Amino acid sequence: MSLLEMKGIYKSFSGVPVLRGVDLTIEKGEIHALLGENGAGKSTLMNILTGTIAYDEGSIRFDGQELKNITIKKSEELGIAFVHQELNLFNDLKVFENIYINKEITTKFGRLDKRQMIKRSRELFENLGVSIDPTAMVSDLRTGEKQLLEICKALFFDAKLLILDEPTTSLTNEEVEHLFKIVNDLKQRGISFIFISHKMPEIFAYCDAYTVFRNGEYIGHGKIADTTPNDVTRLMVGQASEAGKIYKKRKVGEEVLRLENVSGKGFNNISFSVKKGEIIGLTGLQGAGSSELMQGIFGSEPIYSGTVKVSGETVKTGSVHRAMKAGISLLPSNRKENSVIPDMTLIENMYLAEHTLSAGKFQIHKKKEENNYLEYKDKLNIKAESGNDLITSLSGGNQQKVFIARWLNTNSDILLFDNPTQGIDVGAKEEIYRLILRLAEEGKTILVNTLEIPELQQVADSCMIFYNGEIIKVLSHDEIEEHRVMMYSTNSVGAQEGNTNGNSDEDEKGK
Amino acid sequence: METAMKMKKENNMIGKIWKGYSFIFVFFIIFLVYALSSSTMTWSATMNILRHSAVIGIISLGMGLVCLTGEIDLSAGSTLALVSGFSVIVFNATSGNIVLTALFAIVFGAILGLVNGALVGVVKMPSFIVTLATMLIYRSFSQYFCQHMQKALIGGGSSVYRMSNSFDGYQVMYSLGNNKLATIPIVGILLILFTAVFVYITEDTKFGKKVYAIGSSEKGAFMTGINVRLMKMMVFVIMGIMVGIASYLWICMNASSDPATTGSSYEMYAIAAVVLGGVAMSGGRGKMLGVLFGSLSYTVIDKIIIALKMDSLINNAIKGIILIIVILIQVAGPEIKEKIKR
Repeated sequence: MSLLEMKGIYKSFSGVPVLRGVDLTIEKGEIHALLGENGAGKSTLMNILTGTIAYDEGSIRFDGQELKNITIKKSEELGIAFVHQELNLFNDLKVFENIYINKEITTKFGRLDKRQMIKRSRELFENLGVSIDPTAMVSDLRTGEKQLLEICKALFFDAKLLILDEPTTSLTNEEVEHLFKIVNDLKQRGISFIFISHKMPEIFAYCDAYTVFRNGEYIGHGKIADTTPNDVTRLMVGQASEAGKIYKKRKVGEEVLRLENVSGKGFNNISFSVKKGEIIGLTGLQGAGSSELMQGIFGSEPIYSGTVKVSGETVKTGSVHRAMKAGISLLPSNRKENSVIPDMTLIENMYLAEHTLSAGKFQIHKKKEENNYLEYKDKLNIKAESGNDLITSLSGGNQQKVFIARWLNTNSDILLFDNPTQGIDVGAKEEIYRLILRLAEEGKTILVNTLEIPELQQVADSCMIFYNGEIIKVLSHDEIEEHRVMMYSTNSVGAQEGNTNGNSDEDEKGK
Repeated sequence: METAMKMKKENNMIGKIWKGYSFIFVFFIIFLVYALSSSTMTWSATMNILRHSAVIGIISLGMGLVCLTGEIDLSAGSTLALVSGFSVIVFNATSGNIVLTALFAIVFGAILGLVNGALVGVVKMPSFIVTLATMLIYRSFSQYFCQHMQKALIGGGSSVYRMSNSFDGYQVMYSLGNNKLATIPIVGILLILFTAVFVYITEDTKFGKKVYAIGSSEKGAFMTGINVRLMKMMVFVIMGIMVGIASYLWICMNASSDPATTGSSYEMYAIAAVVLGGVAMSGGRGKMLGVLFGSLSYTVIDKIIIALKMDSLINNAIKGIILIIVILIQVAGPEIKEKIKR
């Protein structure tokens, strides 16, 4: 009998279906890879399993027991533990205190029995072959050790099923090996794992079975031994939709932006150049370095070495203001945190960047700003009642257009777009693609970093794929194809040498 | 149906005004209580409110700016004591040169503000801690130097900085502090002028927009190229200048400064005035006009207590209670409204 059976799970958020009757079956003592692109519904399903959110329809059986109305507490008691990507540890507490948080052992008089807690923690660590000192401060642990601690913490309270959400993104290769040695060991003792990852080499090295979701639907499952990275990737991306192709080739001018051996936090030795009117796509998994590189060019994160040149002149990095003066602007990812000034109006939000460049003139011309705003409102089709409304009153797509206006308003020639359509509905997305193409037509030099491959097909002249902080492959516009980009992003090419090329050729013949 | 909609719209309008300008309502309610409780309400008594609000009002303006960036300045009261004391020394040492004294007060205030600003802005220390420390330091300096200064420089005494009345400048400064211009106290006019300047800076200049942006979202402000560190430093320097000006007015009005009591808990009154005026302590929201009314409201409370012949020791209790009530309405009001709607 299976350990976990989830059948026909259906869930919608305010009318929008996120899960459309998905199935997931986990056997006892297996490592099960849960696969799918961003937004496929993996985390939603996991949150349902751990009782964080309620599901609309479907049935869940765990350990032979029918589950209804799961709560966080109930799922914990049943032995389901979620090891989150962003670790839920208390940095200012000691290791054993973290393990026993809210479950402290006390003496008869209510005093904490530290000796007992430390002793039991030590026993567990020895048993698992983990070399962490229970009395160390969590803040002193390396990321890999914290990851292990999270797993140990779950095991301490008899977890039968552990959900590991991208546990290896911030680990070194040795740490990954160590982690999986322990995971394998636990597997032998009958503990099951749901492993969420995008890294094909890991999945094929360590997992037993897989299930694939796409757009909230169940696509398929099987044994890892019976499949290839290529086939799995194909299941994940499906057939790319051809609808609404808007990409057009443009004439490009002379070289504008040039990077030479640039290294910084999260990226290494990056060199490339971009011409006037060109749109270059950057992609890769979360943390692969493309977003970090954009921040480096914009000066909001430091660059350790290498040079950034704009029209042949070296730009001193490390200052947003200097980058802006050189004509570089960045539409950052995570709009809510990095772009929105919540207490300010549309016009104020739009003008903030321009104000820092024209600081010499002290006073604001309200009338001029209003007129200028109205121009951008027309040009970018911003749907808003008044420029004096708060920015937070707009939808995500319209907010994003205001922020694009913010940067156009500074007259910068180089536009860096980091995940420009994050959290934006489909219609607004296409508007933003058209806008990006039009800006390139008008002579702007554009970089677009995105996790969504269809987005690259819409706008990018060529695409650089990042893996582990380096550019692993450059594809021309015609070569950009979801399956192929995914293969490189997950570094599956190495895991399945030779095979890839043959298959993608076939793919093209198929069309 | 139509009238209902109209009423709803009117309700919204009133709601909007209440939200943006509640400090004016609060002021008028308190003022009304004063008018009813005082048997001898006169024009000059009313104008005296302005006079007594001048020092705290000018400090509050600076504090308002600091709070808009999401920071706090606990050293304001001690800065007032130190700058006013040393300004008296400068006055006595320069044989009553009123211009040099004023200049000194402003520059010295700016320097003390710069110390706070450099530690908060550049070193990125929490402003609560930094200004708590400088609060102790500045007050202690003020008291220490009063004891260890030549007697002539502090006006002959030993525990108070006193302006020597033998110089011509003494009378000029005294009139600045106590005379009236067309029945309005000069210091009161200055307060209104400074308020106007601050309203202009915060609402019509790029500098002002940046202050709001930093308080509203520091990360977001940084990502538009705003030099957050420099801005924070500048705001603290402006705060220092305002306290410097307030110090000068203080000695104009009192002709002396007692290092032990001058400006004691003024930072708290200023913060209270800022909050009463509707500025969010987390930064990014509020109006400078509110700060003016906030500080006026507190002066009126003083007057009410005098008019009712109550023990002045109850003063702070009443101020505290009013602060809690007003904030309670602001915080709990929307929640209660939401519940009624359901």
